[in-house]
Amino acid sequence: MKRREFLASSSALMGGAVLGPGLHSIAAHAADQPVRGGTLIWGHSETTQNLDMHKTGTASTGRLLQNVHDAIVTVDDNFTVIPSLAERFEESPDGLTYTFHLRPGVKFHDGSALTSAAVKYSFERVKNPETGAVNFEVFNDVAAIETPDDLTVVIRMNQVNAPFLSRLAENGAGVIIPDGSGDIQGTTPTGAGPFKFVRREFGNEVELVRFDDYWGGAPHLDGVLSREVTEPTVRLTGIQTGEMHLINDIPLDRVDALKNDPDLQVLTWFPLSWAFLNFNHAVKPFDDPRVRKALDLMVDKETLVQGALWGQGVVTASPSFPTSPSYNDGLAPRAQDYDAARELLAEAGFGPNELEFVFKTTTNYPWHVEATQILVEWFRQGGVKASVQQLTWSDWLSQCWVDRDYQVTMMNFFTLWEPDFLYYSLWHSTGAFNYRNIKDAKIDELTEAARRVVDPIERAEIYKAVQKRVQDEALDVVLWFRNGTVAARRNVGGLDALVHPNGSNLQFKNVWLKS
Amino acid sequence: MSYLARRAALFALTLLLISVVTFAITHVLPGDVAMMIMGTQSNPTALAGLRESLGLNDPLIVQYGRWIGGMLSGDWGVSLRYKEPIAALIGQKVTASAMIVVLSLLIALATAIPLGVVSAVYRDRWQDTAGSGIALAGISLPDFFWGIVLILLISRGLGWLPSSGYASPTEDFWLAFRHALLPATALGLSLMAHLTRMTRSAMLEVLGQDFIRVCRAKGLGRGAVVFRHALRNAISPVVTVAGLQLGYLFGSIIVIESLFNYTGMGWLTYQALLNRDVPLIQSSVFVIAAVVMLANLVVDVLYTLIDPRVRLE
Repeated sequence: MKRREFLASSSALMGGAVLGPGLHSIAAHAADQPVRGGTLIWGHSETTQNLDMHKTGTASTGRLLQNVHDAIVTVDDNFTVIPSLAERFEESPDGLTYTFHLRPGVKFHDGSALTSAAVKYSFERVKNPETGAVNFEVFNDVAAIETPDDLTVVIRMNQVNAPFLSRLAENGAGVIIPDGSGDIQGTTPTGAGPFKFVRREFGNEVELVRFDDYWGGAPHLDGVLSREVTEPTVRLTGIQTGEMHLINDIPLDRVDALKNDPDLQVLTWFPLSWAFLNFNHAVKPFDDPRVRKALDLMVDKETLVQGALWGQGVVTASPSFPTSPSYNDGLAPRAQDYDAARELLAEAGFGPNELEFVFKTTTNYPWHVEATQILVEWFRQGGVKASVQQLTWSDWLSQCWVDRDYQVTMMNFFTLWEPDFLYYSLWHSTGAFNYRNIKDAKIDELTEAARRVVDPIERAEIYKAVQKRVQDEALDVVLWFRNGTVAARRNVGGLDALVHPNGSNLQFKNVWLKS
Repeated sequence: MSYLARRAALFALTLLLISVVTFAITHVLPGDVAMMIMGTQSNPTALAGLRESLGLNDPLIVQYGRWIGGMLSGDWGVSLRYKEPIAALIGQKVTASAMIVVLSLLIALATAIPLGVVSAVYRDRWQDTAGSGIALAGISLPDFFWGIVLILLISRGLGWLPSSGYASPTEDFWLAFRHALLPATALGLSLMAHLTRMTRSAMLEVLGQDFIRVCRAKGLGRGAVVFRHALRNAISPVVTVAGLQLGYLFGSIIVIESLFNYTGMGWLTYQALLNRDVPLIQSSVFVIAAVVMLANLVVDVLYTLIDPRVRLE
C-alpha cells in the first residue's frame, strides 16, 4: 500500500468510528425516562487510597465512597443542613444540645439496622484521636453522646460550637457505620448508602452494586465499575472509544473539543476548587504588606484564568463557596497596575530589579506550572526577578507545606462551603493549615469569635470581614475558582443530579443508562 | 550442581546488596509516606502521631531489620499508604506485567526470526530492503509512539481491542489476553526490530560458511539447508539476546503500562516511589531484581539445550 493510500484509509476508519455512532445516538436520545439496569463504567481520575471513610483524607476516595455511605445529615443546594439518616433534628436555643431522631427501618449493607448505638459508635470512633480520623476535631466540644432509645441520639456540648451541625453534613465526620464495624472499613467499606462495595483491585478498578434495601429507594443502575485511570489522555481515549461511559476531570485544554463531539455530553460546573498565591510571612520581605500588595498589583487575574485554565474558571477575591451566605461579593481583585506596584516596592526599599525570589510550584497540578510561568513573566515586567522551581508533589508537601521552606508558592483547595474549616484552618495563626506563617491579630480575633456565634447571618458577616482583611493586607492573593468537568456518552441519563452540592463528590444514585 | 550453587549464592548476595542500596536511597529522598498520606490535610501534631504509628521514628537499622526479617519469614507486611497486603499486591501486579512481557517476547520472536531469515536469504533484494525497513522503523521510534499509533488504529479506529485497562487472567482469560495484546505489541516492536537485525546478520555469517556449501553440494533442499542447518547454528545468540531482554523489558515496562493504564509492576513501583512507601518500594525492587536475574539464569540453561557444545561449569 502506498503511503498516501494508507493515510486516506486510516483517516476514513477513524472518521467513521467517530461520526457513525454519533448520528445513531442522537436519534436514540429522544426517550428520557429513567430505566433500570446496566453497569456504568466510570473512568475515575485518581487512585483510591485507604477505603475507611472516617480515616481517608483524600478527595478521590471520598468521591467514590460518597455512593457507599450516608451521613447523619446532609446539605441541599443552598448549603442548608437537611435530614439524611436522621429524619429530623433539633438544636437547643442555647446551642449546647443537639437531638437527632433517626429514620426508622434504615438498613446497612451488612443487613443490620440503623440504631442509636451505631451513631454513638461512629461518632466516638471519629472523636477518639487513636482512630486516626481526619476530622476528629469536629467532636472536640462534645461532652456526651446519649442514646435514650433506639432511634434517638442526644449530643451535649461543653461550649457552643457553631459549625458542628454543618461539619456533620460533610462525609468524613458525619458518616454512620454499623456498630463495631471499624476494623473492616479499610478493606470492605460498609455503610447505609445507595451502593454496596464489592471489591477493589488496587490501582485498577473498584466495583459497586446496587443496594436494594436503600432507604431512599434503590438506584437505577445495577452497579458502578470505577476504573482508576490517572492518565488524562487514556481517559479521553476511553470515553471516545466508548469503553467508558463517564470520565471526570477532562484536561482543561480539551474541554471545548469534547463539547463538539456528537457522541458525548460535557458537564461543567462551578466551582470545583479555588487557588491562591502564597507568600511566606516568616521570610523577609514578604512580611511587608507593601511587597505583597505590589506583587498582587502585577497580576492580571482575568488573563491568568484564560492562560492557565483555558477559560475553565472564574476570577474571585473570596475563597468562600460562591452561593454560600459567607461569600463576600463586595470584594474586587486588584487590577493590574505596574506604576502603583513599583511605587509600593520603592516605599518598601526595593528599586527596579532589586527584589529577587524563588517561586516554588508543584507539577502535581499542571495548570499551576502554567500559571507560575505567566506570573513570573509579569513580575519580571514589574522589575522583580523571580525564578521558578518545579517540585513533585512529595517535594512540595515536604518543602512548602511541612517545612515551610519557601518564599512564594501557590496552591489550590476544594471549595469548602463550611467557613469555619476554611478560614480558621488556613488563616488563624494557630490554624492547622497555616503553612504561610500568617500572624494577624484581627483575623485571629474574628475566626475565634465566629465559633461562638449561633446566628448564621451574624456569623456570615464575621467571615466576610475575614475575607476583606485577607484582601486588604494581601495576606495571600486569591486567584480563581476552577470549573469541575465530566464527560459522558450520550446514553448516560440523570447527569443533572450527578454532582454533589459540594462540587467535588459524584453521586450515581439517580444516574441511569439508556439501553 | 556446583555451578547452580554458586549462581544461587551470587543471586542471594546481589539481592541483599540491592535491598540495602534501595533502602538507603529512599531515605535520602525528601518527604515521607506520612506526608503523602495526609497531603494538605496534615498538621504537625497529626503528622507526628502518624509517623509514630507507622514506625517511621524507629532507627533506620530497626526499620530495615523489620523489613528483611518479614521478607525471610514470608510476611511481607502491609503497604503504608494503601493498607493492602504487599505480597498479594505484588503477586497480582507481577502476573499482569509478566503477561505483557512474555507475550511481547513471543510476538517479537515469532515475527523477527522469519523476517531475519527472509532478509538473509534474499540478501540485497526487495525482501531484504522491506525487512530492514521494518526493523529500522522499530528501532528508531520509541515504544510509546507505537503504542499511540496502535491505540488510534486498532482501538479507536477499528474498535477491535480495548485501549486501556487490565483484566485478571484467572477470571476471564480471553478478556485478559485482549487487554494485554496491544501493550505487548507496542513493547515487543523494538525488540522485534533488534532481533530481526541480529537474525539477519547471524544467518548471513552462517550461510557464508563452508559447511553450508557442503550441504548444498550434497544436494540438500533449500529449506533443509536454511532451517535445519543454518538457522540452528545462527539462532543461539538471538535467543540469548531475547532472554536478556526479558529482564530488561520487565524493568522498563513503566511507560507502556501508563500509556495503556495497565497497572502492573512498573506502575506499582512508580506509585510506591512517588508515595515514599518504603516497604512497598523495597519489596517491588526486590521482586523486579529477582525476576531479571532469574531470566538470565534461565537463558544460560536454555543455551545448553540449543547448543550442546556449551557446558555450564
